[in-house]
Amino acid sequence: MRFLWPLIFFAFAFAQTPTGEPPPDLPPEVFRIASELRCPVCQGESAAESNAGVSQEMRRQIAEMLREGKSAEEIKRYFVERYGEWILYAPPKRGINWLLWLAPLIGLLVFGFGFWRYLAEAGRREAELELSDEELKALERRLEGE
Amino acid sequence: MRKWVYFAIVLVLGGLFWWGMQRDPGKLKSVLVGKPAPDFELSLLPPYRAEWGERFRLSEHRGKPVVLNFWASWCYPACYEEAPILEAGWRKFRDRVLFFGVNTQDREADALEFIAQFNLTFPHGYDPRGKVGIDYGMYGVPETFFIDAEGRVRYRHAGAITAAELEKRIREVLP
Repeated sequence: MRFLWPLIFFAFAFAQTPTGEPPPDLPPEVFRIASELRCPVCQGESAAESNAGVSQEMRRQIAEMLREGKSAEEIKRYFVERYGEWILYAPPKRGINWLLWLAPLIGLLVFGFGFWRYLAEAGRREAELELSDEELKALERRLEGE
Repeated sequence: MRKWVYFAIVLVLGGLFWWGMQRDPGKLKSVLVGKPAPDFELSLLPPYRAEWGERFRLSEHRGKPVVLNFWASWCYPACYEEAPILEAGWRKFRDRVLFFGVNTQDREADALEFIAQFNLTFPHGYDPRGKVGIDYGMYGVPETFFIDAEGRVRYRHAGAITAAELEKRIREVLP
């Protein structure tokens, strides 16, 4: 049971949203859309988390477009037209990108196969080491005889 | 035999990771290449108003190739390295090519100080919010776009530009 505690701890740690509460000046919808877009000048930060000037401007533009009645898809397309698909945090699910989406599953399958083979091998070796009843009796007789 | 398979897997994954880490988004080809340059209108910084007017609209300057440079006074050292190169390029090609600087996310006073420091004579617009930069899919200052006489983006250079690169790219957009 004790080994489960770190797992439980990490499960909760990863469940936290990295952005926390959005500042009150922009609607939460702006931050939801911005969190799906990259901050162009940062490394590994979304336009929702980053405080770089360009991210602030992106959030302002998203808010403007929402006021104009544009949908989240239209807003994302606006940024893709300028930056390419690189700007999207989640690569679109088509073509070669499927490999990316399936990679964790493939990794898990490869690991599972390796682990299964390891267990099978270990079981076989254990069986080899086990003594039959006759061998055991023969050994016991030898010990008693000595 | 099996040991080698595992070794190969680790090597391939490690190589992929290393390759990914080396990649710089600034080196990605701009999606605008081959497409019409997004139009914009900016107010010009005071030193250029006498010659170029209060505002600058890109589409009003069609017919001449344009070197569009995004910069900021806080962009040190890259913008400081390329400023004299751009000015020299402008002096050499000003009859055939228009140079335009977009001062991005900067304070006006700092921008003017930068302009005075390098005695920049080609026109500069003021874009404190960096709106034009987003329209051009800019990753970070400095970036230089080469636009041909028909108004199409032909090349995007990320980072400080060298004199040789500047001249090479200008010759590509010259009619």
